[in-house]
Amino acid sequence: MRRGLIARSKAELPDAIFAGRVERTRAAMTKAGLGALVVYSNNTRAAGASWLTGFVPYWSEGVMVLTRAGDPALVVALSKRVQTWIEATSRVASVVSTPRIGAETAKLIAASGGGAVGVADLDGFPAGIADDMRAAGCALADATDMFAALRGPADPAELALAAHAAAIAHDALACILPEHGDANAVIAAVEGRARAHAAEECYVALAPDLARERRFKRIEGQASLGRSHAIRATVAYKGAWVRLARTVFRDHDKAHIAPAAAEVFAACVAGLPQASGFGGASAWLVEGCRVAQPLEALMGSRVDAPRRPAPGALVSVTTCIEHEGEPVMLAAPALLGASGEPAALLVPPVFREGD
Amino acid sequence: MLREERRARLLEAMSEAGVDAMVVYGNAWQGDYLRYAADFGILEGHGIAIVTAAGAIELYVDSAVEAERAEAETTGLAIALAPDIGRAVAQRLDRIANHRIAAAPRRFLPSFLADAGRAFALADGTALVDRLLMHKLPVELDAMRRAAKLADEGYAVFRKAAIPGRRQYELCSAVEAFLRAKGCPDNFMILGSGGRDVLGMTPPSDRRIVAGDLVTTELTPSVEGYYAQICRTLVVGKATAKQLRAHDVYREALEAGIAAVRPGATAADVARAENDVFRKYGLGDYVTDRYTRVRGHGLGLFVDSKPHILEDVETVLAPGMAIIVHPNTYHPEIGYMVLGDAVLVTETGAEVLLRTPRQLFELGG
Repeated sequence: MRRGLIARSKAELPDAIFAGRVERTRAAMTKAGLGALVVYSNNTRAAGASWLTGFVPYWSEGVMVLTRAGDPALVVALSKRVQTWIEATSRVASVVSTPRIGAETAKLIAASGGGAVGVADLDGFPAGIADDMRAAGCALADATDMFAALRGPADPAELALAAHAAAIAHDALACILPEHGDANAVIAAVEGRARAHAAEECYVALAPDLARERRFKRIEGQASLGRSHAIRATVAYKGAWVRLARTVFRDHDKAHIAPAAAEVFAACVAGLPQASGFGGASAWLVEGCRVAQPLEALMGSRVDAPRRPAPGALVSVTTCIEHEGEPVMLAAPALLGASGEPAALLVPPVFREGD
Repeated sequence: MLREERRARLLEAMSEAGVDAMVVYGNAWQGDYLRYAADFGILEGHGIAIVTAAGAIELYVDSAVEAERAEAETTGLAIALAPDIGRAVAQRLDRIANHRIAAAPRRFLPSFLADAGRAFALADGTALVDRLLMHKLPVELDAMRRAAKLADEGYAVFRKAAIPGRRQYELCSAVEAFLRAKGCPDNFMILGSGGRDVLGMTPPSDRRIVAGDLVTTELTPSVEGYYAQICRTLVVGKATAKQLRAHDVYREALEAGIAAVRPGATAADVARAENDVFRKYGLGDYVTDRYTRVRGHGLGLFVDSKPHILEDVETVLAPGMAIIVHPNTYHPEIGYMVLGDAVLVTETGAEVLLRTPRQLFELGG
């Protein structure tokens, strides 16, 4: 559940940015013969509706509806009392509060002229809403590919927000000192710092002792940290999500290992998305937003059916690189080249002691 | 032990209902059904567990980092990363299409799975799991008691952090950092600050706390996935006579609501007891849905569980249920005010889980 700052800044997300996205989406709808586009949103799958409206539900669910004319509308299960909050944090023509999202969405579409209804991520659209829309006479078509093609490449506003999220994550991870021995103290420091810098969400996961286990997990209760351990911060800021990881060596004579591995990492990232592997790493992952899930698995060692991200897309890249016999866990956001140029990290996963 | 007891109870309920396999859906918002069945607290994407009558559990997730986390955090599950999760689960269910399969909560399932064209049929098993979620085992209630202790401690941190000049999100940061330091991985929290202009609580904004503000919060930490909630209001400065008089109404309503909690009473009885106090003071308009959502709700693996405490909800209370009684609403003279305590339904009445005094706190007053 979101508990960080959700706000709209017209400096960061000007009306013109939303207007341009809506215009491009409507043009694609016309070309596809759609009378309306519907994008589902809840607090874990907000990245589609927020791209067109800024709307991020902290709780509950809703759909964004774009018809043939006007700004998008929202149909939400949130109560009427928070309508003013929704209007203050989103750029929408209207907000309908209702427990029957599907039925009200169908009414809204019918009132605006009807036609074929495209649903971004129709396969994942909640069954209850789909059933109610079909019962009200809506013919639902899958608009996933159409929307993903629009949503994929990052525009300057999205890039700036992602860079800000990356800066928050970097600052938060930089506050860790190698002498920290208690996992909860590290988690509290990272999350507290990220939220104090206005992170909308922050998930902190740890691999507490890399000598024993390389997988990241959420810590509940007490846990101590090994001689080398890794912390991953997944941070959202104004709808832009990034992952950043830091590997900490508590022995000073190993402090050079993580920066050296980060150089190898940056070189591997530069080859994306053309690289068929990832510098020979046994485990790697590229995530990005196609429709609504902010960090969806696109390519990687465990992804059987890769979905190559669009040129100019924002991604987060995660891997483990062995250096001098030590595992180094690395993750950082990157921007893929729009016209064949190398992908570039938004922020290097390099942390100087005492930052 | 908690995990094993829950699984045994789920299998028993499936057996009684004649269900051969249960399909259980979850995401970070509505994760309670999945947590109950698979003991995985999902944060990103969709998760779907298939629980067979023999006790085998397969967990499908569409996020790669969640697949890794599930492998590290759970035991006894077969975990699959499935970016096309609806289709992957459908392929699996095709193999048992001639069995009786139920799904919970069915309305949230990816529509691909619920489509009429599938070879298998998914009955709605939501009510079956709802019963298990509402009527808790002693080990679940123990987790709720521990979560309530954290709620008390978290509110003490909140009170200290609500200093003039601080932005709302900085206040939340202090509480979240405290809870993480205590080993608590999750908390649901909304708040409000200001005066008569504030109609409810929301996630934190960048509004600064100023002298004279009423600062409200609903703070809900979790232990082993179980959430316990506290609602309190503080004044930045000295409370006015109007604010104190208003708070007396909320306290009387809360106490009336808690007094109505007993086995055999309904959710409606509790709501009516709270609302009657407001009506007695001529504030009946302010207990309608124009100003307030619910007069409390269930607690457990979801922050806002069933039953909702409303005058038209006839769910019968029974020992082992956990609810919060919170007569939170707008007051025309002072603005939005909250006050609420988490309670357990016992054999004889209610066990109040919180220790924080039911007072209008004054910060520096």
